[in-house]
Amino acid sequence: MEAINQLVFQLIFVGALLVAASILLVMISSRIGAPLLLVFLGIGMLAGEDGIGGIPFSDFRLTYLVGSVALAIILFDGGLRTPRSAFRIALAPAASLATVGVLVTAVIAGVIACWALQVGWLTGLLIGATIASTDAAAVFLLLHARGTEIAKRVSATLEVESGMNDPMAIFLTIACIEWVTATQAPISPLHIAGIFAMQMLGGTAIGIGGGFGLLWLINRVEIAAGLYPILAAAAALTVFAGAQLIDASGFLAIYLTGLVLGNNRHRAQQVISRFHDGLAWLSQITMFLLLGLLVTPSALFADWRAEIAIALALIFVARPAAVFLALAPFRFDLRERSFIAWVGLRGAVPIFLASIPVMAGIPDGMTIFNVAFVVVIASLLLQGWTIAPAARFLGLELPPAPEQTARQGIDLPLSTDREAASWRVAPGSPALATPFRDLNLPRRTRVIAVIRDGAVQQRDMLDRLQADDYVIALAAPQHVIALDRIFSAPSTAPGGKRRGMGDFLFNGDVPLGRLHDLYAIPLRDVQPEETIDAYMRRRLGGTVEVGDHVPFGTGELIVYALDKDRILRAALAIEPAEDRLPVLRLLRRLLAGRRAPDA
Amino acid sequence: MLISDLVTPSAVIASLKATSKKQALQELARRAAELTGEPERAIFDVLLERERLGTTGVGDGVAIPHGKLANLPRLFGMFARLDRPIDFEAIDEQPVDLIFLLLAPGGAGADHLKALARVSRLLRDRTIRDKLRGSETAEALFALLVEQQASAA
Repeated sequence: MEAINQLVFQLIFVGALLVAASILLVMISSRIGAPLLLVFLGIGMLAGEDGIGGIPFSDFRLTYLVGSVALAIILFDGGLRTPRSAFRIALAPAASLATVGVLVTAVIAGVIACWALQVGWLTGLLIGATIASTDAAAVFLLLHARGTEIAKRVSATLEVESGMNDPMAIFLTIACIEWVTATQAPISPLHIAGIFAMQMLGGTAIGIGGGFGLLWLINRVEIAAGLYPILAAAAALTVFAGAQLIDASGFLAIYLTGLVLGNNRHRAQQVISRFHDGLAWLSQITMFLLLGLLVTPSALFADWRAEIAIALALIFVARPAAVFLALAPFRFDLRERSFIAWVGLRGAVPIFLASIPVMAGIPDGMTIFNVAFVVVIASLLLQGWTIAPAARFLGLELPPAPEQTARQGIDLPLSTDREAASWRVAPGSPALATPFRDLNLPRRTRVIAVIRDGAVQQRDMLDRLQADDYVIALAAPQHVIALDRIFSAPSTAPGGKRRGMGDFLFNGDVPLGRLHDLYAIPLRDVQPEETIDAYMRRRLGGTVEVGDHVPFGTGELIVYALDKDRILRAALAIEPAEDRLPVLRLLRRLLAGRRAPDA
Repeated sequence: MLISDLVTPSAVIASLKATSKKQALQELARRAAELTGEPERAIFDVLLERERLGTTGVGDGVAIPHGKLANLPRLFGMFARLDRPIDFEAIDEQPVDLIFLLLAPGGAGADHLKALARVSRLLRDRTIRDKLRGSETAEALFALLVEQQASAA
């Protein structure tokens, strides 16, 4: 008994300590901008057999179990957080990246692995397949890292891609393993096609069906508030595992389940969202800690030349080739394509997938695992660390949104058409400039209470709001952002942030003829009466997002502010983008070998 | 195009007093009228009309109000540093204290835009903005504006 107690409490002690240490290190890592996931991985490795912790851990099966649950939870949370608007603009390109893109990546990386490691082509392809998908955890986390806002169309594409491309990589990996381990005649292409159809179509159907089922369930049952998020998690995992059991893609299914639930009004919205935010964090920490523990660093770099060569080839050859091919039919310009190619972040999925060959007892299993591990580290180091600079370099960074107000949502009965929330008034916010009764609040907004120093204020006695007051209000859902602006501090935009956004702002209703009169910008295939709004929407096709740009004269017009689909303001960039970015200007000059004439 | 082609030493104001955007534009129009001989009212109207299309406050405390005047013989630039920053409805909502005014002749063609690009690029440079804010006299400001043309092409 004594021995069991020792073991149990040792396990709890070490496990809890590792998680706590990881969370505390988040602060330091966000200060130096290191990708968090790398920090968790590093802690795991430090605690492991070659590190100071000296914990021997090589349980691939346990890792596979925990990794499956963690990945599923992360994908569910990603789905919950993907707004329908983002999904709509990104679906087609992301689907192409998630299928064609993954296949091309796997084949190119596989061929290079074949050559670098001197292994058979099937093993090479297996390596390619394990490292072919981008990682949802890494992409969701790093694209939203502190203070970075990236053009919507691009970031949405990357996010939806990462949510949808794991099934393809998993399918390829499993198909390759079946192939390698097949004892009798080679597997027929028809069989492979069948597996593929079942994975994709089955996953889609189960995911969407499960999503609506879960929605229905949550809105029907009356349980304690704290149980709703647990019910959501348990039901989502049921969908995930159920799909896996019948050979459909559970990963695709659970992402879609999250997407359906997150985009339909349901009970306990706030509790579920906050709980799953925490749960997704815990999943990421646990998974990366465990993967760090699992690897044996001293054995990792046995074949480091080949491993690094594969990692670099993936980042600089396979991913760009796949992106340019998969996105060929879609409207992205060179800068956007380059950014998407660069943000091919690898995370836990490759390591997780590479543990399957080890468990299946394939001869080169450990080699495959080590390659995947090195690829992930290289990707997090090289790409993860440079997302913000890359966005700035390519002019895809948006001006920062107003600093996040301390807004807390409050759950209301489903039938209400308004949302309730409390805001903490920030120092310097616009709300402080006018007397309380003259505040220009959006229509149908009703302030319920103002709390100052812990006491509810008499509203008719209140002259003016003060910083750190709490305002509790009811508002139409579309006005919540407007209220954020009123109660938060104006964005402190440092010079560099605005760089990608052009020179002058124009209201969307300005006719292009006015720009022609003022600046002699030639109007090609444009009517002078056409407004900036109409012109940009015509050129951008169906959907418009902040940061979208349309060529105009020698420069371009960039969407700056939107109301629904109407362009409120656009920035006119006088010079083409590459001229606005000093680095590119310099590059171009070097390539041209002469000084460009002064503008 | 060089900044020295646009601004003369007499068109640099080290400390302009204004409490609002409108007042600042009025004051600039008055000074520009003195230097160009164009009617003050016409200049003010042109600037105001341009602001109606969208703000010329380009961010980082900089505004570049501009417009076209039919009878102006050549491009005319004027630089003013404000006594204290004012609200200019700028792109980044920050108050403005550095203003570069640019007036273009009716037939300026592409030169108008080139001049604006030149000015915009100059004032986008943080070190130049800092130096402009740290200088005392109009002479020093003028020297800063034109010295940059060699390095920041």
